Amino acid sequence: MGVTLAVGTEKGAYLLRSDEARRNWGLEGPLFKGWRVTTFGEAGDGTHLLATASNWFGSALHRSSDLKEWTQIVDGPAWPEGGDRKLTQIWTLTRAGDILFAGVDEAGLFRSDDHGQTWQPVDGLNEHPTRAAWQPGLGGLAAHRVVVDWADPNRIWVAISAVGVFRTDDGGATWVTKNAGVQRTVDEEELDDIGYCVHCIVQDPADANRLYRQEHRGVFRTDDGGDGWVRIEDGLAAAFGFPITVDRETGRLFVVPLESDENRLPVDGAFRVYRSDDRGDSWSVSGTGHPDAATFTAVLRGAMDTDQRKGIYLGTTAGKVITTADAGEAWTTLPWTLPRILSVRVMQA
Amino acid sequence: MATVQVRLPGLLAQIMGGTKEVIVEADTLQGAVGQLLADFPALKVHLYDESGRMRPHINLFYNDTNIRWLSSPDVPVLDGDRLTVMQAVSGG
Repeated sequence: MGVTLAVGTEKGAYLLRSDEARRNWGLEGPLFKGWRVTTFGEAGDGTHLLATASNWFGSALHRSSDLKEWTQIVDGPAWPEGGDRKLTQIWTLTRAGDILFAGVDEAGLFRSDDHGQTWQPVDGLNEHPTRAAWQPGLGGLAAHRVVVDWADPNRIWVAISAVGVFRTDDGGATWVTKNAGVQRTVDEEELDDIGYCVHCIVQDPADANRLYRQEHRGVFRTDDGGDGWVRIEDGLAAAFGFPITVDRETGRLFVVPLESDENRLPVDGAFRVYRSDDRGDSWSVSGTGHPDAATFTAVLRGAMDTDQRKGIYLGTTAGKVITTADAGEAWTTLPWTLPRILSVRVMQA
Repeated sequence: MATVQVRLPGLLAQIMGGTKEVIVEADTLQGAVGQLLADFPALKVHLYDESGRMRPHINLFYNDTNIRWLSSPDVPVLDGDRLTVMQAVSGG
């Protein structure tokens, strides 16, 4: 079975479809030409979702049954009218059974129980007692990752940039910060366990209590559902980075290290994906096929995904899509150069 | 009621299925805007933010007049009047 990748960029969305071997690809698009496309999702009723944003026209959610014809969802995620919060971007769409979650900027979590047709704010998180102290980072104030426990859908983790990770054990009614062991980026004593600049989190497909966390301050793992985090950086060229993902078939982890939060570039221009076969205890450069020439580009937090059968796909800020079909033994850079890539998603199409 | 022609910029036309011009019928300018949003509810989030105000970089022109300049949108419209959504693009 081939793979359909949805690629969201600063200027539209693109579809990349592969052959069965995932070696030959075709390009379709752009869709939503001129719009920023921030993320994609599956609605759970066979339709697909896509989120747009614009500096002028705001953010909206769209639905398609064929990834070609799209209709805007009128009652998408939205902060209440008359309030101070502005929804500027939808950064993640996560499905758990028939429930959908949308993580947005200005930070908040919304839930849909009707396949994305209508959305309700998750007040337990959005009005968390720490809310007044949430402050934006360079990338905004965004709830950008939602992880629903594959073993218990009532347990959910949400990552909010420059704030930290929160967990609910009761389906979203109450939330607790889960950042112990991580170094803050906003180091003010009066903050109550917030001020952590989490970039990405992912759950281990083999152990529901194990999660991995690419943080502004480094790479971390928890083995107890987030109660405590430990550094896992041995062998990495740098600890800073944005995405982290894990392939279910092999259990192999992937990150793309960048030199420091100041520079945010591959170390010495050596663009390399790193992998770990021991749950992050050690890392090494992932296989072959990386650029030989200096390559000063990055991969953003939403721009790496896996098909869970050794296919890893990432998009760079320079508009290149890089793939592997063998869990990172050999990487291929596809020929097209797209606008700055914000998101890469393996679609069920 | 008067027939008012509404023109949309390219980005919004995309989400309207490629339609750049639509017709609404109304007695007043306020009514024309209301009818536009009733006929095409997907437009609302793109024209207005959560405060209920028009987005900062959106201008809505009634013929040659920016409606921000009007003291009230409760003015009568005539057949053939134009309502133009303009995107204020700035920067280098």
